[in-house]
Amino acid sequence: MTLAEAIQIIASLIAVLLLAGLARWLGLGGDVRIRDDAHAIQLADEAVSGFRPVAIARDKAGIGALLRDASGRQMLLVRNGAHFVGRLLDVNIVARLDQQFLTIGTGEPLLAPVTLNLGPEAQYWASGLRHLPHG
Amino acid sequence: MANFVPDLPQPVDYAIPAFILLIVIEMIWAKRRAPEAYEPKDTLTSLLFGVGSTVASTLVAGMVFAAGLWCYQFRIVTIPFEWWAWIACFVLDDFLYYVFHRSAHRVRWFWASHVNHHSSQHYNLSTALRQTWTGFLALSFAFRLPLMLIGFHPAMVAFVGGVNLIYQFWIHTEAIKRFPRWFEYLMNTPSHHRVHHATNPRYLDSNYAGVFIIWDRMLGTFIPERDDDPVRYGIVKQLGTFSLFWGVFHEWIGIARDVVKAPLRWKLHYLFAPPGWSHDGSRETSDMIRARWEADD
Repeated sequence: MTLAEAIQIIASLIAVLLLAGLARWLGLGGDVRIRDDAHAIQLADEAVSGFRPVAIARDKAGIGALLRDASGRQMLLVRNGAHFVGRLLDVNIVARLDQQFLTIGTGEPLLAPVTLNLGPEAQYWASGLRHLPHG
Repeated sequence: MANFVPDLPQPVDYAIPAFILLIVIEMIWAKRRAPEAYEPKDTLTSLLFGVGSTVASTLVAGMVFAAGLWCYQFRIVTIPFEWWAWIACFVLDDFLYYVFHRSAHRVRWFWASHVNHHSSQHYNLSTALRQTWTGFLALSFAFRLPLMLIGFHPAMVAFVGGVNLIYQFWIHTEAIKRFPRWFEYLMNTPSHHRVHHATNPRYLDSNYAGVFIIWDRMLGTFIPERDDDPVRYGIVKQLGTFSLFWGVFHEWIGIARDVVKAPLRWKLHYLFAPPGWSHDGSRETSDMIRARWEADD
């Protein structure tokens, strides 16, 4: 690698940091939340095409949701930046119930566990997590 | 026959200031019209992909050029650096880009590298710079070698390849809806390329073109963007993280895990079958997703 190439890479890194800083300074990305059940249904279909929930538990602040379809599959929706990602849950999850708060980790190392405030429904959904398929 | 080889610049180097300026303009547009079009962490990751890709390309550039020169010695004819040769080289290179790009979506070994470009859930000009670090490992350069065997000099091929890459930068935007019909018919545009980045079952594995969309129209892979099915971006199983390391290597790690776990007779399939293929049917390829979606619809 030549000196000119090294300088170009350092200049590129500085430009990258400035552009990412500009995006933050402009407030881009916003604060995306799950608005209602219809929104959760839409997000679930986007995550796994054809997933049609028959039961939905949304976090009170809209940062995530648990959904179950007619065949018993359960999906976790979690926020990732300005978007949501969905995962079908299996026995590899780690779940912890604390009154109205249900914390779920999917077992994926880079997908951080999420704590959902599900209100009085939390216990019901926590018990449902005992019957998950093998991954 | 000897061929005069001019000293050609690398066009992408000269385009970088324009890339930066256009990203700033698009961010200002996003601030006014669509704040969710950008996400600072995603932007940082995408741009670091770009810097890393430049470093990786620099490290292997000598070997790639040497491979081109090696093929060039077996050329059918010696094509001079004339105006018509530049045009022919650009068009043929764009067709070979189509072949490379289609392979990159249909063969998991190639996809493991190309998936880097698709793993953002955003579609903006920073996504255009989200380029692979492992293209050499995926043998991306090999798709251009036929041009040298025909008789185009590697320097000419490298130059037109750079121009092709520059063209593909500006089409990564939601800020431009559609161009006049004649332009949309001939050229790859933001509308066509949005479809290419989509995860909607309707749009999967389509619009592989680099510059000229006519390759997709001719070879049956063209799908137009529809207003009643807004594009959702990313990959079928979204990453769920902005980790640069995981973004770069996740599919390679997935291949390694699958090959280790798979029964002997299926191991090679996990390298070369379409992404999503599994020997036990536990996963879905894009063809399977689309077929299920069509059956449901």
